[in-house]
Amino acid sequence: MKRITAIMLVLAMAVSLLAGCGKKESDDGVIRVWVGEESAEFYQKIGDEYVAAHSDFGYKIEVKGMDTGSIAGTITNDPTAAADIYTVAHDNIGKLASTQCAKPIMDETLIAQVKADNPASFQKVIYSTLNDKSYLYGVPYISQALFMYYNKELVTEEQAKTFEGLQEAAKAAGTKAITVTGDDGYNMSFALLATNANDHSTTVKIFEGAESVSGGAKGESNCQGDDTVAIFRWLQAFAEDPNGFKWASPDGWDADLDKDNKGVLAVIGGAWHYNTAKAALGETNLGITLIPTFTLTDASVEGLSGVKAGDVYRGGTFADCKCFMINANSATTKYAKEQELILYLSSKEVQDASYLECLNVPAYVGAADYIKQCFEEGKVTESQYNLAAAQVSMAEWGIPQPFITGTLNTYYYSKNAPAVFRAVIDQTAYPTTGDVILQETTSLDGVRKALYLIEYLWMHGVTPKEFPAALPEKA
Amino acid sequence: MSTAGKKRKFSSQSRNRRISLGATYTVLSLLSVIWLIPLIWIVLSAFRCEYQPDGTFIGRVTSSFFPKQFGLKNFEDLFTATYYGVPKAFPRWMLNTLFIAIIDCIISTFLVLSVAYCMSKLKFKLRKPFMNISMILGLFPGFMSMIAIYFLLKSVGLTGNPSHPEYSVVGLILAYSAGAGLGFQIAKGFFDVLPNALVESAKLDGCTNFKIFRRIILPLSKPIIIYQALMSFTGPWMDFIFAKVIIGADNAKYWTVSVGLYSMLFGTHPDTNLFTQFAAGCVIVAVPIVTLFMFLQQYYVEGVTAGAVKG
Amino acid sequence: MASNKNHAPKKNQEKTGLFEGLRKKCENFGKRFADGSLGTKLSHFIFGAGSFYHGQYVKGALFLLIQLGILAVMIFCPSINGTPYGWKALRNLPLNNVTEGGDFDPLTGQFTVGSDCKLMVLFGFVTIALIIIYFMVWNMNIQSSYQTDMDLKIGKKPNTFREDMRSLLDGKFHVLMLTPTCIAAAVFTILPTIFMIALAFTTYNSQDMNDLGTNLFHWNGLQNFRAVFTGEGSLGVEIKNRFMPVLGWTFLWAIFATLTCYFGGIILALLINKKGLKGKKVFRTIFIFTIAVPQFISLLAVRNLLGEYGPVNSLLQDWGITKEPIGFLGLHPSDSESLAKFMVILINMWVGIPYTMLMTSGILMNIPTDLYEAARVDGSSTMKMFFKITLPYVIFITTPYLISSFVGNINSFNTIFLLTGGGPTYTGYQAGGTDLLVTWLYKVTIDQGSYNTGAVIGIFTFLITATITLITYRRSKAYNEEDTFQ
Repeated sequence: MKRITAIMLVLAMAVSLLAGCGKKESDDGVIRVWVGEESAEFYQKIGDEYVAAHSDFGYKIEVKGMDTGSIAGTITNDPTAAADIYTVAHDNIGKLASTQCAKPIMDETLIAQVKADNPASFQKVIYSTLNDKSYLYGVPYISQALFMYYNKELVTEEQAKTFEGLQEAAKAAGTKAITVTGDDGYNMSFALLATNANDHSTTVKIFEGAESVSGGAKGESNCQGDDTVAIFRWLQAFAEDPNGFKWASPDGWDADLDKDNKGVLAVIGGAWHYNTAKAALGETNLGITLIPTFTLTDASVEGLSGVKAGDVYRGGTFADCKCFMINANSATTKYAKEQELILYLSSKEVQDASYLECLNVPAYVGAADYIKQCFEEGKVTESQYNLAAAQVSMAEWGIPQPFITGTLNTYYYSKNAPAVFRAVIDQTAYPTTGDVILQETTSLDGVRKALYLIEYLWMHGVTPKEFPAALPEKA
Repeated sequence: MSTAGKKRKFSSQSRNRRISLGATYTVLSLLSVIWLIPLIWIVLSAFRCEYQPDGTFIGRVTSSFFPKQFGLKNFEDLFTATYYGVPKAFPRWMLNTLFIAIIDCIISTFLVLSVAYCMSKLKFKLRKPFMNISMILGLFPGFMSMIAIYFLLKSVGLTGNPSHPEYSVVGLILAYSAGAGLGFQIAKGFFDVLPNALVESAKLDGCTNFKIFRRIILPLSKPIIIYQALMSFTGPWMDFIFAKVIIGADNAKYWTVSVGLYSMLFGTHPDTNLFTQFAAGCVIVAVPIVTLFMFLQQYYVEGVTAGAVKG
Repeated sequence: MASNKNHAPKKNQEKTGLFEGLRKKCENFGKRFADGSLGTKLSHFIFGAGSFYHGQYVKGALFLLIQLGILAVMIFCPSINGTPYGWKALRNLPLNNVTEGGDFDPLTGQFTVGSDCKLMVLFGFVTIALIIIYFMVWNMNIQSSYQTDMDLKIGKKPNTFREDMRSLLDGKFHVLMLTPTCIAAAVFTILPTIFMIALAFTTYNSQDMNDLGTNLFHWNGLQNFRAVFTGEGSLGVEIKNRFMPVLGWTFLWAIFATLTCYFGGIILALLINKKGLKGKKVFRTIFIFTIAVPQFISLLAVRNLLGEYGPVNSLLQDWGITKEPIGFLGLHPSDSESLAKFMVILINMWVGIPYTMLMTSGILMNIPTDLYEAARVDGSSTMKMFFKITLPYVIFITTPYLISSFVGNINSFNTIFLLTGGGPTYTGYQAGGTDLLVTWLYKVTIDQGSYNTGAVIGIFTFLITATITLITYRRSKAYNEEDTFQ
């Protein structure tokens, strides 16, 4: 029995090994591209047209649609099986570059186009280091920011401008005011990155150069300043209110938004939630606008010196971009053509076309004009225009997601920071996985400690050994 | 006891019996309803066709059990829609799964039968160790080895192969059917019951082991063959984790139907508005499987019972 | 206890037998070389030489092919994704010969990728397997040649290849039948399992590695196991604080899930098989129906049915039973954990009872009727008959099933994963309120990429299920009487 078993086993293995050994880094005349699921058909069409128009290009283009949220994970699991060109949100650049899944972009025309087209805020976050040198890694082509969808039937345009207005409408409708689409770090940015409505400055500066596009940042990189503490205390009160903030239902935030369910009147989301929000409310009832403002109350500033009741803040957002990147494992012979293709795919004209076809909001400076023009020419519906307009204005209030320490976005890759957010808003204890334990998050001290914890998690990726004896009370 | 007394006792007995029968009917009917409600609901949702006042389709879970309007829109959409950039993805997934299921069914059934027969009717040196090892291997959580299987298949180009994404299907079939032989216990239980005398008398007549298996055992094994075939055929329709890892998240064209249906509900930005379409997909998947089960019920029951008694 | 006593001497025998066998084998090696023909002697160096010597060309060619094949792999080291097999794989296995990579030529775009440690470990094991096979075949080819020598001495003709093949259909039929499964199991089950076990002794944790910006990991001995008690490492505290609660719940779940389905099934079977009941077939069909529907469909249906805005909650609110929607399945972090636990056990009954019903139906019909008649003559009530006859009989017959379903429930992935996803989540921890070891393992490996921690959890799970199975299996009738049964 052993004999034949072994013979077959070896034959199988030998054949398989020999079959495998012929394969090297391959160039089979195809450039493969991964994009978001919703734009796959569009980019395949654009790619085919490009190949047809450029007979010297010499490559076929194959586009596949991917789940944008998990794409970075898929790439890092097995980069050799990933496409030659893929698209990710910029906050993955650091991770993909440091784990050798991406290769720098060197083509000068392309670099020039990136420099000319994109806002300064993006320019800071599409570079990463390799062997101590800074290289361009990502080419932005879609911009992303949070804004608000609301039920036009039950909320007036005026009410939609403030959280208090929403609360009032919610009281009348017997629902809660607002929800978020998820409880991860990205969605929680509406609270942490709240910006002063007067000077547009953010209350925290979570990484060097993290200043809101239109107003800069106040203070240092600390999250426990009086203003941030006050904002979170305001949010705690808002969440406690029967007509205030609600966490998204496990049935989906759109179930909350549905009028029949009496869940919420508004949701903070992004452009990729458009179709779902439309299905929940119907296009005629779907309002789209900026994230509202809120006014600090007496209770929220009690015991704090750096802020006063009546200060107005606008809910904040990250202002991100999605980028084309080149796979480090892609054949060297394709390198020049890959950059040529990206040059075209990220050009203004293709970005514009992708707005019209897939509602991808363009990333380049001045896209607002084109968006407006499209609406005036009747190429897009009112809600499609509102969406792009709201996002473009929110992008000016926001900052790009960081990757602290130059390589990592510890913010999104959680390390439990979002769980601390949740604990603060729910006013529950936080039994950390580390050495410190937050007994409560209700008191002033509790909120401050929680914010310190969030900041520490970002900066270091681990929980602190202990809380400092006296937390800074900076404004 | 007088005749009259007997009669009275008899009639009261039969009344008791009627009451208890009635109670049984009630309980069973009630239980049947409980058991069927979720399935009925999925079917109803599949045929639900409701719109917002402005004409937007409502595909979410709604609070009412019964749809307000019925229609076939979910099925139409399901068969025409593009998912993950794959046009008409759902019919493709159905065909992929059918193909995988048929091949897996043939290979797995063959492997299980051959191993079970050896373990039951042949005597050889490594029999006990083989049984023990196969039992121990069965105790490791399956997806622990998933990643390793992926890279082993990849090293022979049977998955994660950008130039030949279709090879992943072969990889998945291998991964599904490779372990099948180790699940021989139920079939062994079946063979154990067949009298050894059959084998021995055939041997005296000069039959080879192969002939005995081919001419005597196989014709008697119809129930267990059908049971094993049924089990391995339905497997690929139900697995939504292994298939995605082996075929690859990027390879939506070659997904199986359960991976596709699962990702309709649980993408990273879940589109809950696809629930009724998901329900329609479920109905389409469930109908053939359920029909098959119903037709082959008897064999399934035999298999399950054999498994229970032999363990 | 008695069976233990019987076992003890047998085991000793086995042990001495093993040593004896080894000693004999060693002697045998020397003897074969000394006594064998020239072909046998040559076989020690060139596979198949003996077979050629005896004129068995096909067999010899096969042996030679295997030797050349394995040697080619060992020497030329074919590589996949830049990671080699062969001697280089052995050199790589200690993981101290790794390169960071990342060299980039800005002009050509040439990029050098660093070492891939997981493939190094995997290919290292594959190579070791090849070496083991090499020596197995080596031994086999000598033995084959030596056997033919002996046969010739007593005047028997050596087997031709055709005769060898024919023997596969008769005397060696089991070889033919088991080979495919052995190969498949070796490649797709044993090797991957060994690989995953090995990862428990490494620092392979994607999160940590991402933080450090590296693809490299190394061996770190028992540190991951120590972390279960000390809580060091990136997931250490998680394991230390959550392991016992999760383990406890896993047992609680397995016990309840097994018993509820078991007795529920028996009761249902009794109801359906009640004498005089019409429509038995209809009822049975209804319950089999639920088995036939794939679990991911039926469980997701239940999950959505019980959702915050689903039909059940809205009915409860319409009837005024509750004011707020109830979080049945713990999908919200603030939902009740005990309710979620109760619900999964309840819903699992919905899934599991029909199985037991089917099985026990057959058994119930086979209970010897004279038992009941005797009891009836004694004037026993129906209840008494159930507890004195039916139940003991069914339990007696289905004990093996009870055990295997207990072990199955410990590893019951679908029910928990599809219904609650392990929720309600614990603030700050991955393992939620209803997470079993196996769903936790999934989260840790597939979601988080902490393969080392996952492997540790997996090994613990295995140890638990293996212990239970071995103890019960060794004592069970099926095992001890298997031979007498035939």
